[in-house]
Amino acid sequence: MSTLSRDELVSELSRIFAEEVEAATRYIHLLNSVRGMDRLVVEPILREGVTETIQHAEVIARKIRSLGRVPRLDIKVNCPPEAISGREALRQALVFEEAALEGYQDLLRRVEGDVPLEEFVRSQIALESEHVAQLRELLDE
Amino acid sequence: MEVWKEFEQNVVTHSAAHHLMAIDDLIRKVGYARVSDIARELDITRGSVSISLRPLKDAGLIIQDDNRHLRLSPSGQALVDAIKTKRAVAQRLFHEFFGVDAEQAEIDACKLEHLISNQVAQRVLAFLRFIDSGDPAVCRFLQAWRGVDPVCNGTPETCPSCQGGCLAENVER
Repeated sequence: MSTLSRDELVSELSRIFAEEVEAATRYIHLLNSVRGMDRLVVEPILREGVTETIQHAEVIARKIRSLGRVPRLDIKVNCPPEAISGREALRQALVFEEAALEGYQDLLRRVEGDVPLEEFVRSQIALESEHVAQLRELLDE
Repeated sequence: MEVWKEFEQNVVTHSAAHHLMAIDDLIRKVGYARVSDIARELDITRGSVSISLRPLKDAGLIIQDDNRHLRLSPSGQALVDAIKTKRAVAQRLFHEFFGVDAEQAEIDACKLEHLISNQVAQRVLAFLRFIDSGDPAVCRFLQAWRGVDPVCNGTPETCPSCQGGCLAENVER
């Protein structure tokens, strides 16, 4: 069984819930920060980012609700009003997608032994890894 | 450059200073610092930490290895040491010498720690060294200082510190 108490688990999940909501907010900002021809290329990717991060946030929120709790949301996002290139937008997205992946990997270590939860976190890791790989491929990094 | 514009150019914002200090604290406590650990330490999201660390990496203040472990570069470490020293001297000055309560002294020192110049910090340190010296003149000075009524009697015409208006009134409103 996981060594985390229910409170600790809810706190960990709430942290990831906040990560996802914050990522969605950042995606929306990035989506509106790219100007010029680059928009044609990156807009669909960033728009997909908004949709998927919101979906992830909802999955996490459902998990928290299934534990009989309400998610805590504490985010502070400050995005400068600067136009950026499509490449820079993808680079920024990669930064917070990698952070989200690290978050799930960290959670997996903490819930070791709780099989259903482990499986859930593993599936999230698979999804996040896919995003990170896609962004890295696009950036050729 | 005008002072306020120079202030805006400061690479080390208040938030950046706390990210750098969190890395230093984590390495001292547990021997490593990852984005997750910093996020937990500062109680913010990993995404925010990652975004905040980018300019610090670009400025060469932190280094990330292949295992995504972070450490301070020599210039980053020097900056953290300076910030921590400035916080400690400011806190001591406000609390022990000015008599501000400990909590408020800590808050104000935290606000100033990354903004105080080395020159000012060196002079404050020199002043604290003087206070700690045990010189009989210090004892007389401290006795006189501690006897000063912190409440202003509000007569700017005769006050040697005020010119044309009560300065104390301005900070009491």
